[in-house]
Amino acid sequence: MTDPTHIRNFSIIAHIDHGKSTLADRVLELTHTISDRDMVEQVLDSMDIERERGITIKSQAVRVMYDAADSKCYQFNLIDTPGHVDFTYEVSRSLAACEGAVLVVDSTQGVEAQTVANALMAMNANLEIIPLINKIDLPAADVERVRTEIEEGLAIPADEAILASAKTGVGVQELLEAIVQRIPAPSGQPEAPLSALIFDSYFDAYRGVVALIRIVDGQIEPGMRIRFMATDITAQVEEVGVRRPANTPVEALGVGEVGYLITGLKDPTDVKVGDTVTLAKGGVAQPLPGYREVKPMVFTGIFPLDGDQYEPLRDALDKMALNDPALVYEPETSHALGFGFRVGFLGLLHMEVVKERLEREFSLDLLATAPSVEYHVYLTNGEQLSIHSPQEMPDASAIERIEEPYLTATVLIPPDYVGAVMELSVARRGSFQTMQYLSTTTVEMKWQIPLAELIMDYFDQLKSRTKGYASLDYEFSEYQPAKLVKLDILLSGKPVDALSFIVHSDKAYQMGNTLAIKLKEIIPRQLFEVPIQAAVGGRVLARTTVKARRKDVLAKCYGGDITRKRKLLEKQKAGKKRMKSIGNVEVPQEAFMAILKVDE
Amino acid sequence: MTASTYKALYLHLPFCVRRCAYCDFDTEAVASDDPQMSVYVEQLILELRQASRNGQLSDISTIYIGGGTPSYLGHKLLISLVYAISTSLQLHPDSEFTVEANPESLAEPMVKDLYALGVNRLSLGVQSFNDQELQILGRSHTAQRAKDAITIAANRFENLSLDLICAIPGQSLASWQESLQRAVSCGPTHISVYPLTVEEGTPLASAVLSGQLVVPDEDIQAEMMLAAADYLTSQGFARYEVASYAQPGCQCQHNIAYWTGQSYLGLGRGAAGMLNLADGSRQRFLGGQLVEQLSAREAIAEDLMLGMRMSAGVAAPADKQALQVLDSLVADGLARLNAGRYQPTESGWLLGNELFSRIWNTLRNNAGNRGCCDIL
Repeated sequence: MTDPTHIRNFSIIAHIDHGKSTLADRVLELTHTISDRDMVEQVLDSMDIERERGITIKSQAVRVMYDAADSKCYQFNLIDTPGHVDFTYEVSRSLAACEGAVLVVDSTQGVEAQTVANALMAMNANLEIIPLINKIDLPAADVERVRTEIEEGLAIPADEAILASAKTGVGVQELLEAIVQRIPAPSGQPEAPLSALIFDSYFDAYRGVVALIRIVDGQIEPGMRIRFMATDITAQVEEVGVRRPANTPVEALGVGEVGYLITGLKDPTDVKVGDTVTLAKGGVAQPLPGYREVKPMVFTGIFPLDGDQYEPLRDALDKMALNDPALVYEPETSHALGFGFRVGFLGLLHMEVVKERLEREFSLDLLATAPSVEYHVYLTNGEQLSIHSPQEMPDASAIERIEEPYLTATVLIPPDYVGAVMELSVARRGSFQTMQYLSTTTVEMKWQIPLAELIMDYFDQLKSRTKGYASLDYEFSEYQPAKLVKLDILLSGKPVDALSFIVHSDKAYQMGNTLAIKLKEIIPRQLFEVPIQAAVGGRVLARTTVKARRKDVLAKCYGGDITRKRKLLEKQKAGKKRMKSIGNVEVPQEAFMAILKVDE
Repeated sequence: MTASTYKALYLHLPFCVRRCAYCDFDTEAVASDDPQMSVYVEQLILELRQASRNGQLSDISTIYIGGGTPSYLGHKLLISLVYAISTSLQLHPDSEFTVEANPESLAEPMVKDLYALGVNRLSLGVQSFNDQELQILGRSHTAQRAKDAITIAANRFENLSLDLICAIPGQSLASWQESLQRAVSCGPTHISVYPLTVEEGTPLASAVLSGQLVVPDEDIQAEMMLAAADYLTSQGFARYEVASYAQPGCQCQHNIAYWTGQSYLGLGRGAAGMLNLADGSRQRFLGGQLVEQLSAREAIAEDLMLGMRMSAGVAAPADKQALQVLDSLVADGLARLNAGRYQPTESGWLLGNELFSRIWNTLRNNAGNRGCCDIL
């Protein structure tokens, strides 16, 4: 165990793409934690998708040893946090394990929405914040502007901001010294009963659940009986250790230290992020503050394209959930799509990442329906339902009222785009809350907006209407009543459950119309004419028609080369396999997401 | 039982003055005096002699020299090849012997000598009688040159086939009808009509992708195909295959061999060949290499599929599943049942991909059903 005065626990926080992971790489290099040979770009982002998309999904914690200018050796625990708004809770728990944070701001982009959100979280956690202005090697760097934004927008003194380029390594040494000088050492009671915060966990096929913990008081060592306070589960400590970044067992973890804990528990739901670990006997009475259950916000139907893949899909979801307790799912049956699952996610990115991983890591061909939110439906008979999919919506006559989740959305933009954001947000049923200038070049607007509207490509629209300048952050606000109706889509006169969605009644006509036109573009011409109708409660609002195919024939069969011709037919058939047959209509996968692509 | 014998012989000559914009066949543009052409012909003659010695040519009843552009070989090389053929096999005087030619390289001496050596059918790649369309296709001749070539060919050949292409970017229905009329006025006995296919990787495909050229839409293409059927039928041509129209008695026997499951031998670099084996299975070759081995079941599926290219269609198969597929095609209007035979309808031909793929993709994978079907 290390004397707490020689420990520094910190996170690196940033808006997406501001260079957080690259900076972490440089820190590992400079402290010789990883030999050059093992240095894969962005070591901490170990999942393929994380590396490809340049985002961090899971938190990571690495211990590095740093020989400082004062000739002492310091233990740094670098806690890398997820970089996306979907994972805000995980970020908050990671920050709670730290005393300081390095706030990375891209000198070419300036302060963005998640810079603000992350900085606020770090301030709420009482962390010492070291601002670092990154990418100063780029010609477009505007250090002074960024300094102003940090000071005026975030109220963080920026005169001591470190100027760095994580790419070239400039400023990184200075950062390491600043961490020693400016971030406080952890304080805690070594003699007090054990109290440790779980800030992340993952599942290891051989060891069971591995929790990443920060010791607040006391110490933890193998053989101890411990208790997880939120789940009230007791277990024996099998192993504790630190990540360098490979797991390295130690005899004990003491006050201020960060490491991993293995108990042999096999069920990931027993070990929750944010929970407190204490002694089974004589433990603390009060858990550490801040724990809450993570609740999914966005729901979608996920169906195997090939019905035979239902079982493999269930196995894959079971396996993924081991490492992702935020992932919830239950079986769902669709008339059109067969057997699948209704899956709940923290947000849209979480959804995309999970779907992509299911397809890639488990070789599944999946079809996802348009995302939905959790509606609270109050029936005339006094009952209350929580529904996650349009199919579950009861008949309109039985409904007294429906409530939907609202978010507080924070949008950061240059002042020129205030009008554009107003227009978009009002069209999305948003109500304006506040507006504030963070600097002369950045305005912060706050909106109350239904989550259901936000997940309908609000962010894409926001980006395109602000030439990419806008950044967005949001958090759940409250449930509010709304006049919502279920819009049905009928193909060849038959309703297709997987294409129905819930929409505000004022927008039903316009949405129905646009969607009918969009589907006409997406659904290829078939052997027969396919009428497309949008209807609410049996009343048809819009109708389009996919004309019957007229001509589809391959060219000359040259010199009797029939092999080649047949291969083309087989290829064509394989192309069709990517489509879903609904009745006698072949529907491409993108049709189920068409609602997200409705341009306005 | 031994393998069935070859009924048809195809020789492939892959050379052209330049490649057409839409071509993705095994062809290459070479200089007219490029020595590789004579090397190639020499090799082809050797293969021919070999096949003859092996007895593979004893039952041949149709010959087709295709390309590329066989006429581009020039008089001397082409005639030496045809001469070698004439001495490698016994050809009945009525047997069909076709040579393909392009207007720009067909000359009178060539026509006379081909005829003298027993060639009795010429197939001319005319494609269009509109110069602008010919230019878009990247053809090396004008409409006038095509007309002249036909006149030259008609000096000797009664049996003359013209190829025409519709759905050319920029082509209107009216201009297509004009090409059809001008083709008929030249007095051919056979006309092949193909809709243009934009093949990946061709110059045409890049022009279409970049938006420089616009392919007529599906509806216009269908109108063009229908216009060809209407007009050619009114002029005494009968449509005996999806893309082929002929005066009475002038159907292309060589092509019919392809659609009726006859074994054919292919010689030359890009030549396709097919051999039926005694157990009902089938081998397919390309450039002399075995590329596919079809089970008896697959061969039957293939014969059904190919049979539906022909207006004669196929006899009702004994196989239950095959019958089901054909009945489903009838139900969807792609085929009709006529005097015990399943025949393609006009819309079945227009939607050939659907028609052929339903037969092939449904029947090929279902082993176990042994029923033998009589396909013609």
